[in-house]
Amino acid sequence: MSAPDYRAPELLANALGIKREFGADARVVAGGTDLILRMRDKVLSPKVLIDLRRISLASISRHAGEMHLGAYVTLSQMLASAEVRVAFPALVEACRSFAGPPIRNRATLGGNIVNASPAADLVPPLIAYDASVVLASLSASRVLPLMDFFTGPGKTVMEPHEVLTEVRLPLPPPRTAASFTKLGQRRSMAIAIVNLSARLTLDRAGQMSEARIVLGSVAPTAMRARAAEAILTGNEPSDEQFEQAANMAVAEISPISDVRSGKDYRKRVTGVLVRRALMAARHKLAEVGRND
Amino acid sequence: MTDMDIRLTVNGRLQHAKAGVMRTLLTVLREDFGLTGTKDGCSSGDCGACVVVMNGQVVNSCMVLAAQADGSQVTTVEGLASNGELHPLQRAFGGTWAFQCGFCTPGMLVSCHALLSSNDNPSREEVLTAIAGNFCRCTGYQGVVNAVQQAAAELRSANAEAVLQHD
Repeated sequence: MSAPDYRAPELLANALGIKREFGADARVVAGGTDLILRMRDKVLSPKVLIDLRRISLASISRHAGEMHLGAYVTLSQMLASAEVRVAFPALVEACRSFAGPPIRNRATLGGNIVNASPAADLVPPLIAYDASVVLASLSASRVLPLMDFFTGPGKTVMEPHEVLTEVRLPLPPPRTAASFTKLGQRRSMAIAIVNLSARLTLDRAGQMSEARIVLGSVAPTAMRARAAEAILTGNEPSDEQFEQAANMAVAEISPISDVRSGKDYRKRVTGVLVRRALMAARHKLAEVGRND
Repeated sequence: MTDMDIRLTVNGRLQHAKAGVMRTLLTVLREDFGLTGTKDGCSSGDCGACVVVMNGQVVNSCMVLAAQADGSQVTTVEGLASNGELHPLQRAFGGTWAFQCGFCTPGMLVSCHALLSSNDNPSREEVLTAIAGNFCRCTGYQGVVNAVQQAAAELRSANAEAVLQHD
């Protein structure tokens, strides 16, 4: 294998031009914490590396009811952002659980998404928050829900000439709280056995007008436990409701056994974590209520 | 493809290197600049023996391409001592037996030094968070926590004295 050509263009248009010319033979590199390893292991051998570091894709900004995060925003940047912490606490909890400080300083939001690992920590909270991704190409750009982005492990709907440039998060409605929970072999530096996010929105009467349970590491892509969500919707949050929803979530999944966990343990622990995540979201709702 | 010209400011000195695309910051530091304090442990970002500060942030130098680091300011463990004097953190590591074999120590020192630059009185939990990406496989982490807290106390009292003298 010959070494790839390295380019660090200053304009997004130039990066997209290289993508147009080389397609899948050109790989975007951001933090490199995943890509560089896979290149060293010869799993990937791109002809061209497009480093995004000179292109300004690392900003966090508010736009009419949405927060826009550039694809090059690092996990450390999200952890340090008061705006992200306040609006999207479950996303920040996922960042905190992710690897350790040296990796968090390099690994990016966009990288965690485009790698399409079923165990990506940021994906369950992003889906719980209704994230969309912006895919740019030289001719056009399109926005699509993150939920529709993944098609399998390492597989997405992104075209070879497209680059993920931005993630858009609608600001959550009032009386909404979300949580993230993860089980790994140890607290730091571990890929998840199960990682998931729960989000609850209450109506004025205190009933759950919306419930989201987004599971990672238990299916080829992150998935919503829709039957479990349906159990909760329209009801008042209670331990019994959460127990039923957790059992339903377990019934909805058929995880695999791998080096991190057997499938039976994964199922069992998913039930425990769904219940905990729902309880954590309810706890946060109570705090929000007190502040209102 | 021909090698690229890489310019780095390492421990305050401008340095040049030639590097192919897949050469890492770690190999340039060790092989071209002779800064062998930074270690190659796992080569995959898991162990933290290769941690250096790049543009103010700790990074795994085994996973940064030299090309990506072009133009950066880098501090390695060799940059902690000044004028032949060990940094108080380094002395505290020795004093509290914060290491046994010493292979993880350069990365530990760089991570802890970075912590002290933003937090002059870290709790045990804050130290453990700062070194979450640094593995020690022989003596454990309690000595490191003790060393950081001891160095922090020493630095705080030195700062207080400096302020008094300045007034």
